[in-house]
Amino acid sequence: MILNEEQAMLRETVAQFFAEKAPISQLRSLAGGSNQQGYDPQLWSEMVELGLPGITVPEVHDGLEFGWMGLGAIAQEAGRCLVASPLLSSVVLAQNLLLNCGSDEQIAAYLPSLISGEATATVALEEGRFFSADAIATSEASGALKGHKTRVLDVGQCSHIFCVAERASGDRGVAMFAPSAEGVAIGSRRTMDLHSAGSIQLDGVSTADVVWLAGDDVEGGIQRTIDQSTIVLAAEMMGSAREVLERTVAYLSEREQFDVKLGTFQALQHRCAHMYCELELAESAVSAALTGLDNDAPNVSVLASSAKALANDCFTLISSEAVQLHGGMGVTEEMDIGLFLKRSRVCNQLLGSSSYHRDRYARLNGF
Amino acid sequence: MSQPESHPLSKDALAEFRADIASWLEANCPLSQRQPIVREEQIWGGRRRVFPSQDAQQWFEACRDRGFTAPEWPVEYGGAGLNAEQAKVLKQEMSRLGCRPPLYCQGLWMLGPALLVYGNEAQKREHLTAICRGELRWAQGYSEPSAGSDLANLKTKAEDCGDHFLVNGTKIWTTKADEADWIFCLVRTSDVTPKQAGISFLLIDMATEGVSTSPIPLISGESEFCQTFFDNVKVPKANLVGELNGGWAVAKELLKHERKMMSAFEGMLEKPVMELLELADYAVGSDAQGQLNDAELRSDMTRHLMRETALGQLGERIYWQGKAQQADPRLPLLMKYLGTSEAQAKDELVLRALGDEGLSMEDPNVSAGLRKMVKQWAFNKSLTIAGGTSEVQLNIIAKRALGMPSGESKS
Repeated sequence: MILNEEQAMLRETVAQFFAEKAPISQLRSLAGGSNQQGYDPQLWSEMVELGLPGITVPEVHDGLEFGWMGLGAIAQEAGRCLVASPLLSSVVLAQNLLLNCGSDEQIAAYLPSLISGEATATVALEEGRFFSADAIATSEASGALKGHKTRVLDVGQCSHIFCVAERASGDRGVAMFAPSAEGVAIGSRRTMDLHSAGSIQLDGVSTADVVWLAGDDVEGGIQRTIDQSTIVLAAEMMGSAREVLERTVAYLSEREQFDVKLGTFQALQHRCAHMYCELELAESAVSAALTGLDNDAPNVSVLASSAKALANDCFTLISSEAVQLHGGMGVTEEMDIGLFLKRSRVCNQLLGSSSYHRDRYARLNGF
Repeated sequence: MSQPESHPLSKDALAEFRADIASWLEANCPLSQRQPIVREEQIWGGRRRVFPSQDAQQWFEACRDRGFTAPEWPVEYGGAGLNAEQAKVLKQEMSRLGCRPPLYCQGLWMLGPALLVYGNEAQKREHLTAICRGELRWAQGYSEPSAGSDLANLKTKAEDCGDHFLVNGTKIWTTKADEADWIFCLVRTSDVTPKQAGISFLLIDMATEGVSTSPIPLISGESEFCQTFFDNVKVPKANLVGELNGGWAVAKELLKHERKMMSAFEGMLEKPVMELLELADYAVGSDAQGQLNDAELRSDMTRHLMRETALGQLGERIYWQGKAQQADPRLPLLMKYLGTSEAQAKDELVLRALGDEGLSMEDPNVSAGLRKMVKQWAFNKSLTIAGGTSEVQLNIIAKRALGMPSGESKS
């Protein structure tokens, strides 16, 4: 549950890199421009140079095999700066879906270009108003794919789409196609946190134009990918929550009213101390889940649901309190605090809300 | 804690030690003493100690004679002189076999560790030995009616009378003082400011003339705590621990151990008759899919189970950090606040689930086990008060973990 020396060094490097190259002001200027880009391709190519796409990829596939604790640490640092990048969409979701569901030949054919940054991919999984891993309506019928996908991360900038859909056989499958394929209509959307989560309308995409991932256990692979991505997203959220709590404590320790620092008031100290307790509690669940991935723990799904539900609740609490404790400044666009608030609410919906994960945890535990 | 110089044992030596311990436990721990312990059968020691059974006495005496009531204390004071590694092996082997703790005692958990640091040789020989042999039962005399969270405000006075102190005043929340033989007390020996600088640490034999106790009935219907009165009590000077007016340092050492004990309190309590899930299923039932019929209870219970698990994971994190010499000193500060709050959250779920059966602590139509859970709900309200209130814990966390600025309060 702690980082080894290599992982700790990488974390430091990445933290410094994000602080220099991807401060929140970068995110704002990207969103302020006229283009529809969800992330800065230049920033991404520098992240690729750091080797980030290969962090958890096994050495046999030319990855760094640094482990999930290592990737979790990087996600946390990205969370501190609210970095917009294809780390979650391409590296975590798409690459792992390929690794978990693809045949050896498919992995050999598509993974290298993702690791080298030549290609980026995203996963079209979620449908409807809320995330539900089991309610996938997109399906293959008479040689054509039909359906509607929502919250597809970075869909406007990817070169490959991995789409979870029901196959004609009734089994679930993963179809890979290009965004330019006939019958695919992309709807880009910048969410309020200035990240990108669009939609895909599949209007009879010919299955002749898609590649179905052909590994041994596609269904198990989908589940596993969702768990892995949920845990890494939770780690990213913990980084954001930690950052915004630190900013709040620092603000209260500087701002004076009634001739004293606001931070001397016990009412405010107790709220901050409580938030810190919640932060470390959730962080522990996330650490345990990352460790579970590294150890191939049999209860990874339970660990993932626990981690995401606790991360959701914790980041929601801390970001709301941060706005309140910053007073009037907290609701201004000028301060970054509002971005943390918005990011928390977007993350809550991605890959499952707290109610979704509590229900799942209960089902997995038989009650 | 002053300990014999410990040399890390070789793998082989440790394995040999483990095998030795395992066979000793097998030979000495009666099967009846490998059952989960219930509160009534805990051995607290003392002049008036009684054993619930011959097996219990045999197990206690075997441990006492081998120093296993205080495994890490030096042999000359009645301990077993084990180093941390060996003590861990003993603990692991005992827990593997389900052996009951041989002795429960505030002297063991709190006074002893402080005496090892601050006691003089005579005090260590007299008191540590009596503690690990279970001969004397100790109570703690810290809080007073006017000194709760503001402990330094204590007023119980010890007047210097040449060869002895004359003690007058009262102590409150003295756990089981009516069954204790001795009490360790913080007393005022000077009126200087700050108030902390006028406090001394005294050991008082409760059989001395002028000491009396009176139990305090609690909302759980029990009376774990007493008020203890001191009326012109003569205490020999030899019973002063540490420097005169230096009691605050001893108290702080001891409080560390109390907070540790309070965070571990849940583990010491006997296992409930039913686990939470089983209880909820018994009380509200489940549908054909096995889901509890009360959706909100199901959701709130899940939230609790996740948090309880995360608390264990926080403990693991602290452990692994320590092992890797990367300890984050802020994390242990959170355990008492989080642990006691979550224990209460669980009790509330129990009470909610029980419905009608949770409305009385005495209803003879309700099973004794369930009534006990209701009593525990009430008793556990003290968890967030005793051993430093949650509010005091949050003060400490704000200051020491978050470095928030100090205000006017002198606490």
